Amino acid sequence: MTTTANKRHSEAKEPHWIEWATGMVSALVVVAMIAWVGYKAWTDEDMQPEFSIAVTERRPVEGGYRVAFEISNKATATAAAVTVRGEIVDGDNVVEDAEVTFDYVPAQSKSSGAILFSQDPGAREVRVRAVGYTDP
Amino acid sequence: MNGATVQRDDDAGESRDFLIGLGRGAAGAMLFGIPMLMTMELWQLGFYIERWRLFLLLIVNIPLLILLAHRIGFERTSTAAEACRDATIAYGLGILISAAILIMLGDIKPHMPLSEMLGKVAIQSVPASIGALLGRSQLGGQAGKDEDDGDGEKDQGEGGDAVPDEISTSYSRELFLMAVGALFLNLNVAPTEEIILIAYKMTPWHALVMIGVSIAIMHGFVYAVAFKGTHEIPEETPWWHAFFRFTLPGYLVALLISFYVLWTFGRLDDTAPTQMLMSAIVLAFPGAIGAAAARLIL
Repeated sequence: MTTTANKRHSEAKEPHWIEWATGMVSALVVVAMIAWVGYKAWTDEDMQPEFSIAVTERRPVEGGYRVAFEISNKATATAAAVTVRGEIVDGDNVVEDAEVTFDYVPAQSKSSGAILFSQDPGAREVRVRAVGYTDP
Repeated sequence: MNGATVQRDDDAGESRDFLIGLGRGAAGAMLFGIPMLMTMELWQLGFYIERWRLFLLLIVNIPLLILLAHRIGFERTSTAAEACRDATIAYGLGILISAAILIMLGDIKPHMPLSEMLGKVAIQSVPASIGALLGRSQLGGQAGKDEDDGDGEKDQGEGGDAVPDEISTSYSRELFLMAVGALFLNLNVAPTEEIILIAYKMTPWHALVMIGVSIAIMHGFVYAVAFKGTHEIPEETPWWHAFFRFTLPGYLVALLISFYVLWTFGRLDDTAPTQMLMSAIVLAFPGAIGAAAARLIL
């Protein structure tokens, strides 16, 4: 309990048990959180972002063709301004390419996006890969 | 808006007081709402935020405003009905002020789809309504409501008595105030991209320091630095009593509020648990300051 008298607050001398219980639970959670972050601080080695890209959907849309994908970053470092380029490849020739930029691909997380081509790749191969990033 | 109240404002002085109250509310909504009304990310959130998360935020704001109105009005003998009325007026003022300023800023234009306009106003109305409520209590020396306690509503709440010299705030109310303070500061900073950018730039070592500093600031604000309204610990009580009973739960509240706000703004989607925690720790830093300040101010 907090007692307010004439705009001065002073804490009660004999608090209810529930205040102590809440305090203990909070202390446990905060300590657990510090332990978790501390564990991460000890064990994380310096890593560079590592991307893998999985195409999740290909479908024609109005005025073009959409290739949706998910990009995941397995490393413990976050990448910013990740540029992903998609190419339609016919034999050795690149028929069409298109780019998309992600603001962030956080560490050990996924982001999703799509590339819009002007034509249907049909049976031709579609390559999607990350071509660059910056450190945040 | 007078129609919402039970008694008629026959008395010219009374309706003048009411208008002054409205003016203070509007001033508060602007004072506390302007930083958010002029934040680009919040405009964008207005149209891309998931509608059910926005809905939840708007619903959560209602009991929050009522409890806050009751708490603020408590020292000035308000009843539950008055608290509901004040909360409604504050929410309404928040919506009106947000809409007016967004229109003035050219951020809402007639050709926009209705859902975009509504989304923008709705998301801004939450901090603005809290501001409206605070404005009425903090900007004026006397809220223009004191005359209301003569109309037979005394049986409705514990606030029916005359202003006591000494009141006790319950523990849950203290935690609630901290939550409001944390929520308010969080809403200010959470929509900006900087929060997640900071989380990405920080190493876990930085995060550990940040946790320590946040907790220390919370404790220092309330107990050590002699602000007006500083809480006193009785002489014979060791300092760590208050630390365990108030500061740590307060930090936990700030952390939970941070998670909630980040989730509402879609900052936690598809993110690894460690990254979520890092963002929440970053956001809990202003949250902790807000929570501590709320205990002093309110």
